[in-house]
Amino acid sequence: MVQDGTNCRLRAEAISVAYPGRAVLENLSLDIPDSKVTAIVGPNACGKSTLLRALARLTPVTAGQVSLDGHPIDRQRSRVVARQLAILPQSPLAPEGLTVLDLVRRGRTPHQSALRQWSRADSEAVERALDLTGLNDMSSRMLATLSGGQRQRAWIAMALAQDTDLLLLDEPTTYLDLPHQIELLALVRQLNRDTGRTVAMVLHDINLAARFADHMVALKGGRVRYQGAPSEVVTAKMMQDIFALPCTVIADPIHGHPHVIPA
Amino acid sequence: MQAFQFGPVSIPLHRRAVTMVLGLSFLVVLVALAALSLGSYPIDTAGLWQTLTGRADPIPAMIVLDHRLPRILTAIGAGAALGLAGAMVQTMLRNPLASPDIIGFTAGANAGALLAVLLTGGMILTGALTGGALAACAVIALAWRGGLDTQRLILVGIGASLSLGATADLLLSFTDENTAADMARWLTGTLHARGPADVALIWGGLALLAPATAWLGFPLGRMAFSDDIGVGLGLPMTRLRLAVTGLAIILVALAVSVAGPLPFVAFVSGPIARRLTRSGGPALAAAALTGATVTLGADLAARAIPVVRLPAGVFTAMIGAPVLVWLLWIEARKGRL
Repeated sequence: MVQDGTNCRLRAEAISVAYPGRAVLENLSLDIPDSKVTAIVGPNACGKSTLLRALARLTPVTAGQVSLDGHPIDRQRSRVVARQLAILPQSPLAPEGLTVLDLVRRGRTPHQSALRQWSRADSEAVERALDLTGLNDMSSRMLATLSGGQRQRAWIAMALAQDTDLLLLDEPTTYLDLPHQIELLALVRQLNRDTGRTVAMVLHDINLAARFADHMVALKGGRVRYQGAPSEVVTAKMMQDIFALPCTVIADPIHGHPHVIPA
Repeated sequence: MQAFQFGPVSIPLHRRAVTMVLGLSFLVVLVALAALSLGSYPIDTAGLWQTLTGRADPIPAMIVLDHRLPRILTAIGAGAALGLAGAMVQTMLRNPLASPDIIGFTAGANAGALLAVLLTGGMILTGALTGGALAACAVIALAWRGGLDTQRLILVGIGASLSLGATADLLLSFTDENTAADMARWLTGTLHARGPADVALIWGGLALLAPATAWLGFPLGRMAFSDDIGVGLGLPMTRLRLAVTGLAIILVALAVSVAGPLPFVAFVSGPIARRLTRSGGPALAAAALTGATVTLGADLAARAIPVVRLPAGVFTAMIGAPVLVWLLWIEARKGRL
């Protein structure tokens, strides 16, 4: 359970999600604590990605409801939701011929309309997003010419330009090498610290999740099995229960976060 | 970023896109002027000027104003409508092969129009609208499997196009020889003997649809990403898809009603316009102008061979077919087909 006194704008209330012939999530409840970084972990096919997609209304729930500010998210206008919550899906696709700047500008869509397609606020938000992600120098580069790490940063910048309080990231570190993973997670962390944004992300690497998250959620078989601060969640027992991985958990000698050493 | 500002309206301007739209407009005017003066009765620039300002003799005035002008205006309107419909559907379905003339919308409008003419002697537009809408529904329903897969839609659409084409040919065999000859030309797409009624229909239709088209241009540029990104950005994807499909069907039906199917115009306009503007968006204005240029050029080429009265559709097909092969090759190389 999330500790008392923490507000949670985004909540899953007893949700189930099923794909044809297969239940992925069953009767799952989860609160995403405001202004914190939440990492969702679990073995392959445990439903963590589906959970994040359901929280972002990309995947419809078959029972229960996801609520944003106390109202069902799928009954609110999608555009209004998009001003509160940005989602970066796994391996996102862009049409050909876009520059980094074109991409980041598209993040302003929920603040715009067909008549009012550009404003000073748009310019400022795009500028800020490029600054934060360090993409100022390559804003005129074609997206297709970027490296994997740079492209991922461009997508993050697009989500940041959306200027939302809630930011959902589905495995943002996939396909990145270790330095780029650290860089990206440090950026996410810094955003959370500087602007108080709520971040929820699906991560594969337990050690990185333990280091960069305030709150961890461990899923198995479509259910939440553990949640809490990384020091409470990341234990040898949890690793055995969730991943069936025998291991020792020590305190990282530099930062003090729990660190998993497989047996 | 430079933007066009007027009261609450602000629209960003890409310099290259604006240049291309102006250039294409100029090209349309240039080809239109050439088409007004060239022909079996050539009229020089001075004569053309006199005619357009109402100071010419009755014969050149009749040739230019009564024969050539309606034909040219119809060509521009029909080409623009097809170019728009093509660019919209291609952008929405994120595949350059998914244009209305490939996936059966045009063939449906065509068969519907033909059937309406054979049964009632008129009601072309009603027939084209009904046929186009029915064909679109059928293709989407047949390709639907828990969602719409674009590749399956394209394959089903090509099948539907071929069957509807065969149906149209079959319908022709039930008519007398003269009607059949006329109809066959129309089935290829022709601008021969267009009158003020055609001009009024296509331009009136375009004027009515222009606000909706301009409105949809904004979300279309965002729908081109993926469904996830579209929903994440707050777009009502299902409603937008319905609106784009409906608008494309009406545009195609209008064009078919005044000029026949004009193969490949819808198909080639979008990709050419996007490559010209490099704006990364649907480039609707440039696509409309490209469609108009291609159609006007094809009709000019058709008129250059005066005796046989070749339909313009023969030439749009000659321009379009190599582009189709080229796009197929690119898509196959990217492993998307």
